[in-house]
Amino acid sequence: MSRALIAILAAIVVLPLVVRPAIASEIWIFAIFGLGLNLLLGYTGLLSFGQSTFFGSAAYVAGWLLKHYAINVFLALGIGVAVGAASAALVGYLCVQRSGLYFIMLTFALNQLFYFIAYQWTGVTGGEDGMPGIPRPDFLGIDFGEPLPYYAFVSALFLLSLWIMKRIVESPLGKILQAIRENEVRAEALGYDTARFKLAAFVIGGAFSGLAGVLYAMLFGIVPLEAIGFVTSGNVVFATLIGGSGSLYGPVIGSFVFIWLSESVSTLWARWPLLLGVAFVIVVLFFRGGVVEAWARFSAWRERKWRSSRQTG
Amino acid sequence: MAILETDRLTKSFGALAAVSGVSLAIEAGTLHSIIGPNGAGKTTFFNLLTGALAPTSGTIALDGRDITGTPAHRVPHLGLARSFQRTNVFPAFSLFDNVWVAAFARAPSRKGIAWRSADRYPEARERALAALADVGLAGKADRPVREISHGEQRQLELAIALAASPRVLLLDEPAAGLAPEETKKLVALMRGLKGRYTIVLIEHKMDIIMSVSDRVSVMHFGSLIAEGTPAEIQKNAEVRRAYLGGVAA
Ligand SMILES: Nc1ncnc2c1ncn2[C@@H]1O[C@H](COP(=O)(O)OP(=O)(O)O)[C@@H](O)[C@H]1O
Ligand SMILES: [Mg+2]
Repeated sequence: MSRALIAILAAIVVLPLVVRPAIASEIWIFAIFGLGLNLLLGYTGLLSFGQSTFFGSAAYVAGWLLKHYAINVFLALGIGVAVGAASAALVGYLCVQRSGLYFIMLTFALNQLFYFIAYQWTGVTGGEDGMPGIPRPDFLGIDFGEPLPYYAFVSALFLLSLWIMKRIVESPLGKILQAIRENEVRAEALGYDTARFKLAAFVIGGAFSGLAGVLYAMLFGIVPLEAIGFVTSGNVVFATLIGGSGSLYGPVIGSFVFIWLSESVSTLWARWPLLLGVAFVIVVLFFRGGVVEAWARFSAWRERKWRSSRQTG
Repeated sequence: MAILETDRLTKSFGALAAVSGVSLAIEAGTLHSIIGPNGAGKTTFFNLLTGALAPTSGTIALDGRDITGTPAHRVPHLGLARSFQRTNVFPAFSLFDNVWVAAFARAPSRKGIAWRSADRYPEARERALAALADVGLAGKADRPVREISHGEQRQLELAIALAASPRVLLLDEPAAGLAPEETKKLVALMRGLKGRYTIVLIEHKMDIIMSVSDRVSVMHFGSLIAEGTPAEIQKNAEVRRAYLGGVAA
């Protein structure tokens, strides 16, 4: 078992003892969302600024079905994954042919379009008031309405997501996406239809976003309009960059830092986004690899110090 | 029979005809060089053959079949692979990963592409290692690209093309920027590759051309102005003029 996995398992156990279970759940839900984004951002080199499109669409559709048809939890999750993947297929199809700033702006613009639909379609989404009253149905006698069982459920799904993403990034697909990030022209010249591969990254990332969206809706019992807004899209990019987009675990650490900070510091200090802004600038200026890189550098420094103290002492 | 043949192939960039009515037949199993001064249109000609650029007019045939207009990502699957004049690799990858990506592109089956570990495609792995061994980089398979010299990067460029197990290899100035010692090694390598592949070689250095080519075509201002054996080309007056003009410019 890898050290990263041990650390994550330990965190899953300890977290609900330190913070409210709802916050603990939110951390792993946001981590699932980040895993999906990072397949695009870190592995394929595509900065999607519209991930909440998939997160929010899934939350609305599954939330609505949960609310009005009392569907089974797993069916709700499955539908969320499907809606996330389908909306990502649509957005991806329109975006993968563009590159650079055009690409970013297009993901953002399409996100705004989805936001606008949710804003206007008050009969279904509740518009600005959000879509409240989303239940967490029982399953096999387990009452997910209780915070801790739901936390355990979310944690299990996070571990499953992490395992699936690990398989994907270590598969040929993961290598090919990285090759596209490194040199798209050459990847194409080697015989890869790069547009199709980028679309695949979108769809997989969208599926993860969709799963996160449904879990989020069930966690808070509501789909707020912000769930499909650009702030949510920005937050997941932000969290992933802070954690480090260069590794599988970066977005997990990023989610941890981001949610924990936003919950703990925001109650003390209303201008906490300022603090996040500062953290972001530090990351961009000094630690392009985020917390993961900072930690690697710190370990290397400690190692050197330890060695030299042994030599002199 | 010609394995690769172009018929009046033309590419214009606005008013400039970078490639102009080029009809060229490459015989299977030969090493056919294309020479010509800078800006003659040699690289553009390769870009047309590989689908990176669409021709303005004319056709390309492989094994007698018209492949004009085939998208760039399909061309390698027809058995055409190229190396680039300016090193064009995957900078953050190890040497092995660079060639592995090329080898996997041509894997007979992509089953399990999103799920099976990338290590578990023995055929792609062997082809990747063989390509590195061919160019003498087997010992550095795990090194990242940035740790190897410029000369070694040129060899890697070649290995990536080889890993695609092509029938026709298009090599765009593989000796560009090599030291004399490295150039010698490259010539030896070219001799080894000859016969295993049909090779189209773009080269500047006359000594390399003369020592490895079966046939030589000369390009000047987008057009072919001569074709023959190395000895014939060396004697050709028009070639001399073009070349001297090109060097002086
Ligand atoms: N994409 C392009 N757009 C415009 N002009 C180009 C392009 N590619 C090549 N050219 C022009 O076509 C001519 C031939 O270039 P090239 O094929 O690179 O020559 P060579 O490889 O023989 O040195 C040059 O004048 C070059 O500037
Ligand atoms: Mg050239």
